[in-house]
Amino acid sequence: MIIIGNIFILIGTAFLCLGALGLVRMPDVYNRIQAGTKATTLGALSVLLGVAFHHPDWLPKILLIALFILLTSPVASSTIARAANRAGLRPFTIPTNVSEEK
Amino acid sequence: MLFWVALISVVVMLGAAFAVLFLENYLAATAAISVVSLALSVLFFVLQAPDVALTEAAVGAGISSVILALTLRRVGLWRIETHKDKQ
Amino acid sequence: MNLREISSLVFIVWLGLLLGAVLKIVAYDNILTGGVGTYILTHAAPELGAENIVTSVLLAYRGLDTLGELTVLFVAITAAGLVLGQRRTDAPSDSDAGFILRTAANLLFPFLIILGTYILLQGHFSPGGVFQGGAILAAAFFVPILASPASPLHHRVSRLVEGLVVATFMIICLLALFSDDAFLALLLGKGSVSQLFSAYSLPLLHIVIGFQIGTAFAGILARLQETEASD
Repeated sequence: MIIIGNIFILIGTAFLCLGALGLVRMPDVYNRIQAGTKATTLGALSVLLGVAFHHPDWLPKILLIALFILLTSPVASSTIARAANRAGLRPFTIPTNVSEEK
Repeated sequence: MLFWVALISVVVMLGAAFAVLFLENYLAATAAISVVSLALSVLFFVLQAPDVALTEAAVGAGISSVILALTLRRVGLWRIETHKDKQ
Repeated sequence: MNLREISSLVFIVWLGLLLGAVLKIVAYDNILTGGVGTYILTHAAPELGAENIVTSVLLAYRGLDTLGELTVLFVAITAAGLVLGQRRTDAPSDSDAGFILRTAANLLFPFLIILGTYILLQGHFSPGGVFQGGAILAAAFFVPILASPASPLHHRVSRLVEGLVVATFMIICLLALFSDDAFLALLLGKGSVSQLFSAYSLPLLHIVIGFQIGTAFAGILARLQETEASD
């Protein structure tokens, strides 16, 4: 039981580290929002699952916290993206020369 | 063991305080203030004071940053530059 | 480097030294010697029936300081209301947030109220209390306003609730003054430790002060939100 919990916590921290790395290294606001939301939500939920394996009698509280994170994290990311769009930030593009290939 | 949690939270708090003073964008500095409150709340929890930790998390990260952001909006320092053709 | 950066660096170095000192004396076990601390530790639970010693100190042993803090809060709201002023009636109000945020804010509102009331009510036998519950209640009232600013909090309702709450607090205090027992030996009796209806009238005080703090914070936030953005 405890070993499965530890594996889940390790997976969760790996995803959180990758999310933080993506937050630093991505070139654009929209890419950073994606890295900061998807990876960190999954990492947080996995850590909570690992803790649930360690302490099985905390399961209702952990379920409520996981539900709360699952509800508010995507809403926050969509609101930030909408605010960035209304402020006038355009997505990061790399120009491709399509006409030369024909 | 708890010493390392306290040390990490102290380092995060100092780094965020550094960022508050040296960031150009005022809205980003407001976000850094809420990071300081978060790290302080963790430090309070390590020091065995759950009431104060709960209050610091609720007031510092919730109410205080919102008041600061709304004040920035009132004063007029909240606009960012628009990047029209950023490649 | 100019003077501002030098003073910022000095401040951060000083803060780092202070936090290093805190790290050195972190109390991993209970170190408490003599004085008021040990008296409160030994006498709080039998005298008051409250298990949370911090709350019993805040509301019972040092209630005068809590009264001072509430006065400061009231003065701050009045000052904010005076400074911020009224909104022009023809000023354009902010646009609503997107559909996702509006729906999520309206969905979160009852859960935040439940959470705030829960933290408020069990403040005397579990970590919680008036300030935490009040802050969460204020956030519960403020999030839907932030999501759709076109339908604002009615100031009259907020003032009415705040006035009612303060009046209830004063009525409780006056009733306690005229009973011949200790101040808080009012309605609910001592109860047993770690039950909901224990610790004399501490839960009542919790509810009243918590609602007052919640409406005070929500009033400040709503008034700040209503002011127009200057360019």
